[in-house]
Amino acid sequence: MNLRIAGMGWITPLGRGIDPVWDRLIRGDEATGQQISDDIADKTYRAFRIPAGALKDLPPHPRLRRASAISRFAAAAGLDALAQARSTIGEIDVQRMALVFAVSNGGVIYTKRFYHNVVESGAQSASPLLFPETVFNAPASHLAAILGIAGASYTLVGDGAVGLLAIKMASDLLDNEAFDFCLVVGAEEADWLLCDAYHKWRLLKSEAPIEPFHEPPRGMILSEGAGAVLLARRGTVQIDAIDAGGNFSQRRKVNEIVRRILHDLTDEHACIVASANGTFVDLAERAAIEKELPKAIVYGPKPALGESVGASAVWQVIVAAQALRTKRLPEMLHSGRQVGLSFPAIDETSYTKAIVLSCGLNQQVAGLRLSI
Amino acid sequence: MVRFNDLDVKIASTRVAVVAAGVISPLGFGLDETLASLRANNDCVSPVTRFDVEKCRCKTAGQISDERLLSGRRNGRKTERLHRATRMIMAVFEELFGQDPEFKPELTVIGTTSGGMSFGEDYYRALYRHAALRHSARWIANYPPQKPVIDAQHAFGICAPCQVIANACASGTNAIGHAFECVRSGKYQRILTGGYDALSELVFVGFDSLQAATPEKCRPFDRDRSGMVLGEGAAVLALENLEGARARGARILAEIIGYGISTDNHHLTQPDPSGSGPRRAMEQALQSANRSAEEVDYINAHGTATTFNDAAEGRAIAELFAKVPVSSTKSMVGHSLGAAGAIEAVVCLAALKAQFLPPNINFLNLDPDLDINIVANNARDAKIDIVLSNSFGFGGTNASILIQKLAA
Repeated sequence: MNLRIAGMGWITPLGRGIDPVWDRLIRGDEATGQQISDDIADKTYRAFRIPAGALKDLPPHPRLRRASAISRFAAAAGLDALAQARSTIGEIDVQRMALVFAVSNGGVIYTKRFYHNVVESGAQSASPLLFPETVFNAPASHLAAILGIAGASYTLVGDGAVGLLAIKMASDLLDNEAFDFCLVVGAEEADWLLCDAYHKWRLLKSEAPIEPFHEPPRGMILSEGAGAVLLARRGTVQIDAIDAGGNFSQRRKVNEIVRRILHDLTDEHACIVASANGTFVDLAERAAIEKELPKAIVYGPKPALGESVGASAVWQVIVAAQALRTKRLPEMLHSGRQVGLSFPAIDETSYTKAIVLSCGLNQQVAGLRLSI
Repeated sequence: MVRFNDLDVKIASTRVAVVAAGVISPLGFGLDETLASLRANNDCVSPVTRFDVEKCRCKTAGQISDERLLSGRRNGRKTERLHRATRMIMAVFEELFGQDPEFKPELTVIGTTSGGMSFGEDYYRALYRHAALRHSARWIANYPPQKPVIDAQHAFGICAPCQVIANACASGTNAIGHAFECVRSGKYQRILTGGYDALSELVFVGFDSLQAATPEKCRPFDRDRSGMVLGEGAAVLALENLEGARARGARILAEIIGYGISTDNHHLTQPDPSGSGPRRAMEQALQSANRSAEEVDYINAHGTATTFNDAAEGRAIAELFAKVPVSSTKSMVGHSLGAAGAIEAVVCLAALKAQFLPPNINFLNLDPDLDINIVANNARDAKIDIVLSNSFGFGGTNASILIQKLAA
């Protein structure tokens, strides 16, 4: 498989831009939980939000005038990934570029507002301006219009693993000689409704920090943003293998799937970028790592960046690629040292490979391995 | 078309067979009922019963009876707790695996637009009313679009990874097209693919708010068309490398031979009036199949009966095809969004099998701006070997697939 990362971009609760956010991760910075509320109920939650000003450099485009936050995040990450790619591999023909957009909850802010009007005032109050923005592929459509992509554009929906499934789809698309590039974007926007839903699902905790690999799990903090990787046949970091994994019907079965994926991807020269987010996911990853690669150094970005669901796995891939490029790994935050895993003790590393594990909260699991 | 394998070596394309199919739509449950309804020119649109539509302009849709959906237990799970979309997919799997119990997919690619949306609506309404939320965990867990697919897979002992494509109304055809490309590349042997969508209030009201839905009959390509009606359903095809399918003695229903996809950046909800987006998708499907427009015997159009869609699609068809018979079976069942392309692919399989042209019902007068050959109101017998199925959607997604009757 000749699949390489030619460019990357991200917008996260720690800011925008590959190097600035990476520097903050290396410094041990973490996002701050901001209160999030809604008129529909008294309860408040905390989420990691995109900082004010992070989108100030986003070029104006008519498509973004009324678009929801998720579309703006995606535009920022996508444009940054293309800019980085152009600086390294030269001009990119967008006519030979496909777009695969990974999302989990989609345009939840406008969806909630649209349906709220219906519930409160009846169908005649429904907004024809809001409705199109509630459709899952609206952000992908805006991004395609901004970038001028007139060919293949797919929106993939799934749980936290959807970003890796999107990369798998991109690798299949790049088997077709019609494409030289595939831009994979994962994005999500945070809203009170999502926090409430995950809270009622007993996966959310009320205050930061996320404490990965603790037993029993203490819960996650939602976040928002976007990540983008431009895949091509040229680039510094190679995607060696992708395991689209499988699905678990019961949480107790997740362990065996994560373990099988790690077994398939295992490499003694690899570090692991885990999806641990303070939920049952952590225990599955921990059990798999202890069994398959017990000496591997494990890092997880979610204590610093939060659980952004649709964007999370793409962020993990960016972290893994940065670790290989810079030969550094950030400190694992809030993990404690008692859990039986090895975390980065010093930030300098000599890894030439990195395994990304992504276990979603709603049945999907996948993994991939990068090398440099 | 020449393709690359993992070693970047150019390889010949693999042929892709449809070895089984299942469908559930307002036309009926299964291929036989679907064929009979198409032949009988049934209008399957009826007053909406699932939610209150009193304040909507449109009050009808193509609907599926819950009473006939699978109930009870499968693989140890109570189906009543699942979303009805899940039960639709399970009904479809029942038919598909009944035809080919040996089919073991490596991947599942399914299109949808709204997943378990009605559970999201239940949850929000309960929140709004400060009502009891004892069911909320079930609503939330079963709301995501991948859930019905994965649950249905588990019920049938399948654990293939799922790619759930949400490309609005083109989702089903995009899913089949992508699955076709994956098998054709030689990377996969067997893929389950199709689409599903269950009627939901949010989506119904949304199309009503856009005035895209009609209070009248759905009349695709008619001079006096006034909009779409919604529908629901599910359809899944089992795609397999043709050689492999033959080697194991599988029954082959048809062959998928081409796929085209384009993105129309004109507007979020309206197609470019020139029809350039649909045209590019159709041209690409022909090119991908190495076929000419003259070889196409029937077009199952997207044909939503909205002013803009039919004008753009009709123009593109007229530019590319000379008087090929065209119908939109949405006139019979409504627009089932993410399921539409998959259901219409099954309609095409039925047409190829029974050698007839499915009808475009409720048709009164051809739009004088459209120079196309509509199969008006009645199904009719015809010799057909290659059919084209179109799906276009919000966001400017356009998808076309070509299906061919397999020569004996």
